[in-house]
Amino acid sequence: MDIAELKAELEQYHAACFGWALSCCARDRAEAEEVLQTVYLKILEGKARFRGEASLKTWLFAVIRKTAATEYRRNLLRKLRVAVSSEQVSKREPAGGEVDAAFDRSEEQVRFRLALQHLPARQRETLHLVFYEDLSLREAADVMGVSIGSARQHYERGKKRLREILERTEVDYGISWRGKENPGAV
Amino acid sequence: MELVGEEKKIQALFSELRLADEQAAPSFIGVWNRAQLRTRTRVSPLNFSLAATAFAVFVAVVALALWSGSRPQTPPINQTVAITPVTSPFTPVTPPVTPTTTSEPTPKVITVVEQRQAARKLRAARFAARQRAELLAARRAEIRDATAISSWQSPTATLLSSQNDALLNSLPQLNESVKELKSFLPNK
Repeated sequence: MDIAELKAELEQYHAACFGWALSCCARDRAEAEEVLQTVYLKILEGKARFRGEASLKTWLFAVIRKTAATEYRRNLLRKLRVAVSSEQVSKREPAGGEVDAAFDRSEEQVRFRLALQHLPARQRETLHLVFYEDLSLREAADVMGVSIGSARQHYERGKKRLREILERTEVDYGISWRGKENPGAV
Repeated sequence: MELVGEEKKIQALFSELRLADEQAAPSFIGVWNRAQLRTRTRVSPLNFSLAATAFAVFVAVVALALWSGSRPQTPPINQTVAITPVTSPFTPVTPPVTPTTTSEPTPKVITVVEQRQAARKLRAARFAARQRAELLAARRAEIRDATAISSWQSPTATLLSSQNDALLNSLPQLNESVKELKSFLPNK
């Protein structure tokens, strides 16, 4: 597959790739864009080469995941160096804290995004690949580099955990809302 | 089924999220072009190291050329050295001789090669003499040790000697008479 062909294919998957990059970068838009750019750079330089062992989408997602992990480690080291000098090690903050006002369409969506940030990485990735990217469990396992059994476990646990978090936040939200409306009630 | 309903709900939430992401996604062309720009501007570490090595070699060659150019020329090996005989201050001063038809005393001319050969011979002779002297000294020491051993006497040798040494050292003969043999017996 030459570069022109690959470019056309990549353009087709660009939006999905960006969504996946967002998920891998804890929904940090700038970082996701940087990761995507690095992935394209790798493809252009021939460092990442599609050999047809899996589908292009699966391969692309795997490259994005690996690149995001590398970038994350690099950023973490950079942050650590800065933190050591200022004696405050900052943990990777989920981008849920910087939720744009544009995305605040519904309270449920906001709660959902926050709940996703609280899921373990593997569970979040599995749910994202299955529900967001419409991949099968086998494909999701290929992207994450795990067995299908492991992917299934992450999927089930992820769903359960997500439901629990959503329910809890719903209750919390209800209490806080009621508290605001009627301070004497709570 | 509860699971199906739950999955549908999660699916709906993810769909909404996807819609939001798609709206916020950067254009493919923009990202692709930036990546291409990075490819062009990026200098690989290998290229950089090659360039650095080439520069270092170039500097070394130039420095060598400059050094060899500024170095004083050494005389050729077969160059002759004129040695004029040194005149002693105590030698009687000869009156200046007017130039005559007789030939002037020519200075002794010795080549550098000859000088080196002579020095080498001298060094060899010294080395041989030193070796001979060492050998002689070693032999002398050996002779001294041998004589010392042959003339050595035990300090307790006197304790072993007694007045009856002659009796103890002599043996009776077979053809001796009994009377003579009695002489060996202790006197009562």
